Amino acid sequence: MKNYLVKDLMVPISEYATVPEDATLFEAVLALEKAQEQFNQNRYSHRAVLILDKQKKVVGKLSQMDFLGALEPRDANLEQIRNFKQFGFSRKAVALQQEEYLKSSAPILDFYSKAARKKVTEYMQRPTEGEYVDENASLDMALHQLTAGANLSLLVTRGAEIVGVLRLADVFAAVYHSMKESELQKTPGEA
Amino acid sequence: MKELHKLLDRIVQRVNINLRELEFDVNPLVSKLIPAGQMTKFYAFYGITPHHSLNLVFKHSNLSGSYFLGKVRVTNSLLYKSDIRGDELKKNGDLFQYQDFNIPVDQDEEISIDDSFLIKTLVHNYSHDPETLETFFIRDTVSAHFANIHGSPTDGSFLGPFATVDLTTIRDCVIGAYSYVQAGEVSHLNIEPGTVWVRKPGDFNFMYRYPISQLSNYVYFAAGSPPQGVFMDFLEDRKEAFQRVFSVVNIETPLSVPPSASLDRFAVIKPKTKIGENVLVAQRAFLQNSVLGKGANAQENCYIINAKLQGNNVTAHGAKIIEADLGKNVFVGFNGFLRGRPGARITIGQDSVIMPHTIIDVRNPLTIPSGHLVWGLVQNPKDLQTNSMSLKDFSKINSRMCKGAMLFEGSGGSFVSGFQERIHHILEANGAFYDGKLKRGHAQRNQNISFNTIQPYPEGDKEGLYPTIIIQP
Repeated sequence: MKNYLVKDLMVPISEYATVPEDATLFEAVLALEKAQEQFNQNRYSHRAVLILDKQKKVVGKLSQMDFLGALEPRDANLEQIRNFKQFGFSRKAVALQQEEYLKSSAPILDFYSKAARKKVTEYMQRPTEGEYVDENASLDMALHQLTAGANLSLLVTRGAEIVGVLRLADVFAAVYHSMKESELQKTPGEA
Repeated sequence: MKELHKLLDRIVQRVNINLRELEFDVNPLVSKLIPAGQMTKFYAFYGITPHHSLNLVFKHSNLSGSYFLGKVRVTNSLLYKSDIRGDELKKNGDLFQYQDFNIPVDQDEEISIDDSFLIKTLVHNYSHDPETLETFFIRDTVSAHFANIHGSPTDGSFLGPFATVDLTTIRDCVIGAYSYVQAGEVSHLNIEPGTVWVRKPGDFNFMYRYPISQLSNYVYFAAGSPPQGVFMDFLEDRKEAFQRVFSVVNIETPLSVPPSASLDRFAVIKPKTKIGENVLVAQRAFLQNSVLGKGANAQENCYIINAKLQGNNVTAHGAKIIEADLGKNVFVGFNGFLRGRPGARITIGQDSVIMPHTIIDVRNPLTIPSGHLVWGLVQNPKDLQTNSMSLKDFSKINSRMCKGAMLFEGSGGSFVSGFQERIHHILEANGAFYDGKLKRGHAQRNQNISFNTIQPYPEGDKEGLYPTIIIQP
């Protein structure tokens, strides 16, 4: 298998979707769309937006899941219903109760409209220690960090600076291609 | 009274240690809930009958106004006007059935209360925990007004006012006001006020949650004051009637009762009440201008006013029935509050099940058809439509169903048959089916009960504490 380094597979920060920390969720979505248009069409699409402070330092990441979570209607009753899982109800049952409750609530488009004006900082995830990886680290090291932390991406560092994003999809593609190459090179009958 | 204060501090600390994970502090809720003067004011009493074991041990405790029956041990605890009813405990030689096991009981079961503060709480039934067959324990626990601990070993927990734990072992839990939990075994849960949760793992799961804004009208409990709301107002209005039955030593039976029925001398019976055969009226029950047909019962803290119960009706602990007509075999669960009004009566058809912790409070007449299951808050016919179903239809559920604020998952058939079997068992245990020779129950066994009183130190550091007392045959 080819000895990839993290920097061989990362998306440079300049190509990544970023927004300042006072941006709204809607501005984050627009940034994602714009980055996608400019990005190499042969690669997997962007799935997250990085949040930068005034010094252009990465302070958080907004994933698709965080974004969709922000669109989920919220009030005390819904929080209670979502807690039904701790009482032994299945996810289906909780969803059923939630749907019943929402029948008597404001239309879903109102939730979207309100959510669009929310600040990204309310929903972003702040990176934890295990989410940073050095640009010269091996693919094995990155793989371990991704799987152990169940992360969808890692922030790539050069000293104190963040220089890129290593995404699960790119790592998967690299591993897959290496495996395929290696298998095809084997002679028939070779284990 | 120094010792009494020390005891309260000790209990609060022990409960808080257990509830630290939930970040729940019982101190502001209970520290001034019962004025110390009240804790020294009332005698405690116990019952003696030839049908019940007598083995009472009290150590370093206050028992003010509390009642004991059977085999009970109380240590380092404060029991204020609580009923510790040990007349359904397991006996040496009984076989306890749990799943596929038949587990022999090695000695008579005991209710063991340690380091706990129970306020106007009812403790009844037997431990349903196969891991603790001979001891129905309650330890490091605080329970507020009119809570029920029914067949539920309880450890390190807080029960809010009018809360019920039923056939469930609870550890390190907070059970909010007017919540009902019957779930087998639970731990480290903070259950919001007004939650009605009935679960049999792998079989069914029922959940209803009261809208808090409306529940607050009925019961509201916050630090710094006793529980408030309609329930407490209702009880306060009738409190005086109990003062007489507790202050008079030899009280006359206020009405004639059939020989197969039992009327506790600590119940309040107001005029024009009629009691049929095999009826059981427990202590602290309140009956007024009502008819209890054959085999009906009124358990502790029940109020039945201007009502007619046709027969074999279970009115479970703490239930209130006002201005209502109940057909045969109607079950009203724990702490049910059924309030009709003159000209706006509640009529309930036979075989209906009013689930525990149900509030039916109407200003216009309301009829519940026969064979229905009712839950939650019902104030008008529309609420009834949302919060009820025929037992037949409920039995057909086999996946999940949501109706208003009720969520059910599992087998509706098991849920319904479980209720029906339990109702039958309660009637049987209460002696509703007594035929003059066989099938004796509480209604027959609790007749001719004698009561003795015990009292605390009247003054000094130990004021309010009862001396160590051992009462045996």
